[in-house]
Amino acid sequence: MKRVAIVGAGMTQFKEHFGLGIKELVPMAVSEMEASLDKGLDRAKIEAAWFGELTTSDGFPSGILADSCGLMDIPVTRIENACATGNDAVRNASYAVGAGVIDVALVVGADKVRESSARGTFWEWAGLTRDLAWDYPLGLVAPANFALHVARYLHESGATREHMAMVAVKNHRHALTNPKAQLRYEITIEQVLAAPTVVAPFGLLDCTPQSDGAAALLLVSEDVVDQYTDHPVWVRGTGLGLDRVMHQHKRDMTSFPPTVKASKAAYAMAGIGPGDVDVAEVHDCFSGVELISYEDLGFAEKFGAAALIESGATTIGGSIPVNPSGGLKAKGHPPGATGVAQCVELFEQLRGHSTNQVDGARIGLAHNIGGPTAVSAVTVLSNQKG
Amino acid sequence: MTNVSAVGTYLPVWATKAGRVTGPDEDVVTMAVEAGLAALGDRSGEVRNIVLVSRDLPLIEGGNSAAVLAGLGLDAHVPVVEQLGGAPATLDAIANAAAGTLVLAADLAPAGAGAVLVSHDGPSLTEPGRVTRSLPITSRGRDGERRDYADPRLELQRGLHVAVDALELQDKPVVVAGTTVKIARELCAGTPPELPVAGASAAVFALAGLEQIGAGGLVLAVEQASAAAARLGGVPTVVRNELAQREPARLRDNPGPDIAISLAAYDRAFEAKVRWEAGSCNACGTLAFPPRLRCFECGSEAGWSLTPLPRTGEVYSCVTVHVPVPGLPTPYSLAIVQLDGTEVRALVKVTGVGPGEIAIGDRGSLVLRRVAVRSGIPDYGYALLPDAVAGSAEEESR
Repeated sequence: MKRVAIVGAGMTQFKEHFGLGIKELVPMAVSEMEASLDKGLDRAKIEAAWFGELTTSDGFPSGILADSCGLMDIPVTRIENACATGNDAVRNASYAVGAGVIDVALVVGADKVRESSARGTFWEWAGLTRDLAWDYPLGLVAPANFALHVARYLHESGATREHMAMVAVKNHRHALTNPKAQLRYEITIEQVLAAPTVVAPFGLLDCTPQSDGAAALLLVSEDVVDQYTDHPVWVRGTGLGLDRVMHQHKRDMTSFPPTVKASKAAYAMAGIGPGDVDVAEVHDCFSGVELISYEDLGFAEKFGAAALIESGATTIGGSIPVNPSGGLKAKGHPPGATGVAQCVELFEQLRGHSTNQVDGARIGLAHNIGGPTAVSAVTVLSNQKG
Repeated sequence: MTNVSAVGTYLPVWATKAGRVTGPDEDVVTMAVEAGLAALGDRSGEVRNIVLVSRDLPLIEGGNSAAVLAGLGLDAHVPVVEQLGGAPATLDAIANAAAGTLVLAADLAPAGAGAVLVSHDGPSLTEPGRVTRSLPITSRGRDGERRDYADPRLELQRGLHVAVDALELQDKPVVVAGTTVKIARELCAGTPPELPVAGASAAVFALAGLEQIGAGGLVLAVEQASAAAARLGGVPTVVRNELAQREPARLRDNPGPDIAISLAAYDRAFEAKVRWEAGSCNACGTLAFPPRLRCFECGSEAGWSLTPLPRTGEVYSCVTVHVPVPGLPTPYSLAIVQLDGTEVRALVKVTGVGPGEIAIGDRGSLVLRRVAVRSGIPDYGYALLPDAVAGSAEEESR
């Protein structure tokens, strides 16, 4: 298998882009990616594209990417894998490049959550991820889906809402310097605990905002990487894991088995372990999910997440900084774009140019968990070819 | 002559000054099933046919009967008559039933339901009388809108009194269904039991009232200008599923688009969902809920058979949704319940308690409720009734 490198990365700001459609956001992200290439890009060299989009605002996704970016002569494939869509798009494109079928692949992720009314989203998303007869009518909305896990996790682990709040506070602080982030303001633990309840145990400030945005990466094979940059970021490992789709069929809800499976696969492919990761972008759609993910990714032992966040290890300057971009919590979460944008952040971290730089970062990990908590995708990147 | 072999009653937990009210997850079907299960106990094998009396039937075009049969665990071949009527119609149905008839009656305001199993044992119901006249003081037509003529003295004098006189009763009744406490006292010999309902199910609560009196007697049922009477020959066997009353939870209605439904998916799920049954793998017996083609355990795709699930369990995890969800009253609680004696867990709504009054480790029973109304279609399934609620009713009755 050929080695695959990321040589360009770009993204739009994540926010409520009421004034821009998917047909604007996608080409904006691709153009910014293009501008990031050290040696420039001739778009005619792009041989195929993968487009991660969860919903289909404005219609046929693959066609919209091709049409809006002037890429009418290449194959485009839409990837939809719930909230793991972004990193799964990276995985699929890296397979094609790694297999030697093509040398240059475009990866785009985008979604417009705010194309629907703020509350209308609940049913639209439930319709994508729930059994229509059994679970959908119960009102198992997205926050409730994760809260069922976190409630049990708090019950068994001894972690508290304060520990969840520490995640939110940290990620808001991290977002302060990120011009692409949606929520660039500091919050306090007291504010998180006092915020209106969304789905107990989540208050409003434990939750990701609803976001619009797009992100893009250019993946190339080791054979042509020199034509694009002298500072590539290598795709060292990818993994995807699944679980039972109904919550009542998940035996241990204090863990997300898809994350364990996906990270295990990605670590094995990269030839590293969790202790080798210098910086991580972790799926913190709800604060408690970041805690559980510390354990599933191997950053903490079982029920050791509370101690890890308390120690400051996951803050910039700590031993394993998590979500320097602000994470989903503060940067925002347009699902199709989220995983791709995590890789945009890691691309900058591993080239030493992030607005919230982790000193000397050599290995980065991006992680998504989503749908009915039944799918996870993990990508391991490094500035060393390995 | 018929025999009142078993009487069951049901009252929802929620109450206002005007009486019991249904929760957002209850209707005539779910309440009739609660009362029916109370009456039947282990006698469901005796049921040959069902009469369901109400003026608040949810699905006028059909669909109620199948849910009633499934909720009661009865065979789909049992005939069900859905009858519009009030207290006289219910008393009439009981007094003229063939042995093997389960008469169900339910009302929305005040809310409650009753059931009578007519079989070969229990006190006799004799001397049936019936007078049917027209004085539509309250009217509700095809548009569903209720109109009130608002003339209580006319109703009393030209309605109730004329009807009761026409029955030519030999003696005074001991209980009256379908009217106010005050009028019932005027009509009765002695102090009649106060009934919590006034519609179709009031006739069953009147029969149950004879258990409180401790003797048989003449039962009168009235509605506008019609009346029915019958004499119960002794004290009936009564099982009351009457939950201790609580103030209605403060819920927020969230207007929104209709909640979508796939009737194909509804149809596939119906039997297991409304009968509370799992698929048991034909190869290894592992239970799957909901039923599924491929067995979790042995991987067999050779098929499965429906098998009843336990109706008690313990909360494994639970959450309360506070954020406004269009089309659902909020807040509401969801629980994953570990069913007793099985590996099966179920994801259900919580019923009978205020939002958030549920915790991991709590125990409860699974009861038929209307999980949602989807594009006008009631979607029935099971909800967790915490033991804290059911327990409080037992204490009250002691």
